[in-house]
Amino acid sequence: MTSLPADTTHRAETGAKAPASAPRYAPGYGRLMRSPFYRATLGLLAENRAARLAVFIGVPLLWIAIAHVGPIVQLVRISLLQTYPITDGSSPSYTFANYWAFLSEPLYSLPLMRSVVFAFCVTLVTLIVVYPVAYYVAKIVRPQNRTRALLLLLIPFWAGEVIRTFSVIMLLANRGALNVLLREIGLIDRPIPMLYNYFSLSFGVIYLVCLYMLLPLYSALEKIPNHLLDAAADLGAGPFTRLRRIILPLSKDGIVSGCSLVFLTTIGVFATPILLGGPSTGLFPETIAAFFHGASDKWPVGAAMAVVMLAASLGLAALFMRLVGGKRSARFL
Amino acid sequence: MEPIVRFEAVTKAYGKSVAVDALDLDIAPGEFVTLLGPSGCGKSTTLRMLGGFETPNSGRILLAGRDVTRLPPNKRDVNIVFQDYALFPHMTIAKNIAFGLELKGIESAAIHRRVGELLDLVQLGDYAARMPHELSGGQRQRVALIRALAPDPQILLLDEPLSALDAKLRGQMQMELKAIQQRTGKSFLFVTHDQEEALTMSDRIVVMNAGRIEQMGTPEELYGRPASRFVASFIGDTNLLDCSVVSADGPRVALDWQGVAITAARGETSPAPGTRARLAVRPEAIRLFPAEPDTANRVRGRVSRRVFKGNHALLSVEVEGRGQIEALVDPLDLAVPTEGEVWLGWRAENAVVLRD
Amino acid sequence: MAAARPLDGPKAALSAAYWVFVLYLLGPLLLMTAMSFKAAEFIAFPIGETTLDWYAKVVHDGQFLSAVGYSILIAAATTLFATVIGTWIALVVSAESLWLRSLVFALACLPAVVPGMIQAISVRIFIATLDVPTGTGAIIFGHTLHAVPFVMIMALTRLRTMPGSLVDAARDLGADPVVAFLRVTLPYLKPALYGGMIFCALLSIDDFVRTFFLGGYRTTLPMLIFARLQGGMSPEINAMATLVLLTTAVVGLYAEQLTRKARTR
Repeated sequence: MTSLPADTTHRAETGAKAPASAPRYAPGYGRLMRSPFYRATLGLLAENRAARLAVFIGVPLLWIAIAHVGPIVQLVRISLLQTYPITDGSSPSYTFANYWAFLSEPLYSLPLMRSVVFAFCVTLVTLIVVYPVAYYVAKIVRPQNRTRALLLLLIPFWAGEVIRTFSVIMLLANRGALNVLLREIGLIDRPIPMLYNYFSLSFGVIYLVCLYMLLPLYSALEKIPNHLLDAAADLGAGPFTRLRRIILPLSKDGIVSGCSLVFLTTIGVFATPILLGGPSTGLFPETIAAFFHGASDKWPVGAAMAVVMLAASLGLAALFMRLVGGKRSARFL
Repeated sequence: MEPIVRFEAVTKAYGKSVAVDALDLDIAPGEFVTLLGPSGCGKSTTLRMLGGFETPNSGRILLAGRDVTRLPPNKRDVNIVFQDYALFPHMTIAKNIAFGLELKGIESAAIHRRVGELLDLVQLGDYAARMPHELSGGQRQRVALIRALAPDPQILLLDEPLSALDAKLRGQMQMELKAIQQRTGKSFLFVTHDQEEALTMSDRIVVMNAGRIEQMGTPEELYGRPASRFVASFIGDTNLLDCSVVSADGPRVALDWQGVAITAARGETSPAPGTRARLAVRPEAIRLFPAEPDTANRVRGRVSRRVFKGNHALLSVEVEGRGQIEALVDPLDLAVPTEGEVWLGWRAENAVVLRD
Repeated sequence: MAAARPLDGPKAALSAAYWVFVLYLLGPLLLMTAMSFKAAEFIAFPIGETTLDWYAKVVHDGQFLSAVGYSILIAAATTLFATVIGTWIALVVSAESLWLRSLVFALACLPAVVPGMIQAISVRIFIATLDVPTGTGAIIFGHTLHAVPFVMIMALTRLRTMPGSLVDAARDLGADPVVAFLRVTLPYLKPALYGGMIFCALLSIDDFVRTFFLGGYRTTLPMLIFARLQGGMSPEINAMATLVLLTTAVVGLYAEQLTRKARTR
C-alpha cells in the first residue's frame, strides 16, 4: 500500500524548487467567461444550445449550399436557357436545344470522346507505371527510409501545372535534352519531333497526375501486413500468385481511388494541352473554353457541354468505383 | 444529514430502450458509493447524468439541495475522473491540473499553490512540467484524479478509472483512492463492473441491473445477504438450491430441498409455506466432514472434482439425485476429507433465501 | 535509400523502376533549372556558358514582382477562408450524428472531384448571375472553394484520433462550449491545420485554370509564366520558374513533414 505524504517538509521542498519551472497559468479564460462583453456575445451562444447548434451547423451548410452546390446548379440552369444573357423584363425560356447542338455537331462531340478515351488511357498507363514504384516504396524500402523515399517523389508535386508542363518542354523540344542526347550518341541525325503531339501531351499529363496515383497506392500497399505475404509464400505461392491473389486484391482501395483521382484530373486538365498539344490533339476543355472567351451569348452551349463533361467524368468514375468496389469515403464517417 | 446528491425517480431512455428506470438514490457527504453492475446496466448513464452529459427524460437530480437536472456540465459542482483519463495531451501536468482552477478565474499564484499541494498529495511533485505521454498509466491515473479534485467539487465521479491498469497496479490504486477519499472527506461516486473493486473500497454498494437498483448496502451486507439471484451470482460465487417452503416463522425459514430439511435466514423475502424459493449458500460457508456433523444443515455427497487454487481448493460434491454443491476448503487442513464419500454442513445464517 | 540487403531479381527490378521514376519526376525540373543558367538567349542544349544574369533580370522585373505580391495576397486570403470553413465543416461532420451527415460530407468533397476546368467555368457563370465582376474576389472565392475539401479531410483525419472524452473533460472542469473549443479542440487540431494551411497556400499559388477564368487584369505567377511562354521562350522564364519551384518545394516538403507528424503523434 502506498502511504500518503502526511508531512509538510515534502511540500515545502517542492514549493521551493517549483518557481524554476513555474508555468504561466491562464486565469484569463475564467475571467473572460465572466466578463460582460463575452456574456453579451459568444457567451450567449455558449448558453443557448439551440442557437449554438443553429450557428454551428448553419454556417457550414450555408457555405456548402452557396459555394459547393450553387455554381453547379447555375451551370445546369444556364445550359438549359434558350438565350443568354436574359434581357430585362423577359422571362427565361428553357430548352434542351443546347444539348442537341452539342450532340449533333462532331466538332464538339469528337473532342469529348477524345478526352474520355485519352483520360482512360492515361489512367491505365499511370497505374501500370506507378504501381511497381509504390510497391517498392511501401514494401521493399526499409521503414526508416520510407518517408525519405516518398518525399523525394513529392518534390515535383508542389510545382504547379504550368511550371511542370514547361519543364517537360525542356526535355522534349527539338533542341531539348532528349534529342540532343540521342544525337550525341549517334542514334539519330535529325531531331525526332516529340512536342505538340499525343506523345508530348501524354508525357506531360502523366507527369502531372502520377502522384495522385502514387499516394493512394502507397497508403493501401503500406497497410498490407508483411506476414500475409510470408504466409502465402510459406504456403507455396510464387511471386506472381502472391501479386494476383494477395497484393492486388488488398490494394484495391488504393487502385480505385488512385484511378478515380487520375481520371478526374486528366479529363479536366487545361494548361497542359495548350502548351504541349498540337492541332490534332484538341481535347474537350479547350473546346469548352472557346465558348467562354468572348461574349456571354455563347455560354448556354458551353454550359451544356460542361454539364455533359461533368456527368460523363463523375459518372464514369462512380461506375468504376461501383464495378471495382471499395468505399473510401466511408472511413471518415 | 442532508444528502449531497439526490436522484428522484430519474429515468433516461434512448428511443425505446430504457437505460435508467425511475432511479432513487441518496449519497451522503463523505460517502464512498459504488455503482456496480454489468455493462449496459445503466451505471455509466447514471454517472453521466449527474455529470451533466445526459439529460434525464424525467425525474430530478439535486446537488446539495439545488436542482441541477438541466444544467450543463460546466455549471455543476461535480467533476469526473474519466475511464481513459482524458488528460489534455498538449498541456503539461501542471496545466492540466490548473485547467479547472483557471476557469474559475483564480489568481495565478493561488493556482500555483493549489497545483503544488495536489501533486504532493499523490507524490508527483517532480512531474509538474512533464507532458501526459511521458507518464506511466498509474501516474496518469493519479493526475486525472487530482485534476478532478482541483476545483473542489461537491462530489467526485469516477467512471471505471482503474480498468486500464494491470491487476497489481489496480490493487494498489484501490488502496490509494480510498485513502485519498478519506483524507479529503469528499463524496465519491465510483462506477465499476468489477465486484472486487466495489467490495474493497466502498462504504456502500449499489448493484444495478437493467436500469434498476437491484440491491444496495455495505459490502458485508451484499456479500453475506444477497437479496436476489442476480446479486448473489454477480458478487462472488454461490450455490443456488431450489427449495420449497415448509414454514416461515420468525427470522428462520424451514425449507425442503428435494427431501432434505434445510433451515435458512429469511433474507429480504417473506416466503409463504408451500411456495418455491431459491436458496444461496457461499462455497466458503460449506464445511466438509468425514462423518455426519451436527450443523443445522447437512447432506451426504461424493467428491466429483477437485481444483487446486493455491491457498484454497474448490471441491465439487455430487449430491445423489439432487445436483452439485461447490465448497471451498483449506488444502492444508488434514481433517477435511477431499475425496470419496463426504458430509457437507452449513449454518442456518449462512444460507439466504433469495428474491427472484 | 535503396535497400542495402542483398537484392534478388524482382527486388532489383523494382529498385530500378523506382530510380527511373525518380529520374522521370526530377529530370525535367533539373533541366529547367539548368537552362536558367544558360548565357545565350535561346533555349537549346547544350548549355555552354553559364550566367546568373537571368536571375538578376527576374528580381528586377516589375511584372514578376507584382505577380509575386498578387499571388501571395490571394494565397493568404484563400488560406484564411479555406482553413476556417474547412475546419468548421470537419467539426460538423465529426460531431453531429445527423442523418444527413454523409450527404454533407459528400457535398463538402464535391469541389475536390469536379474537374478543375468545369469548376472554373461554373464559378464564372455563378458570379456572373450574381453580377459579381471577375477579379481578385472571384479568384479568392474559386481558390477557397477548391481548397476547402482538402482542409476538411486533413482536419477530419486528425479529429478522428481525438478521444471524445477530452472535450467532455474540459466541459466538466468548467469550460463552456466556446472555451472548450478554443482550449482543447483547436490546440489538438493545430498540427493538422498548419499542414492544411500550407497546402491551401500552395494550391492557390499553383492554380492556373481557376485564375485563368476568374481573373481580372492583374496576373498571378502561373498566369505570368504562361503568358511569357506563349510569347516566346527565354532563359528568363526558366529562372522565374526555378525560383517559384524552389520556394514551393521547400514549403511543400515542410508541410508534408508537419502533417506526417500530426498523423503519427
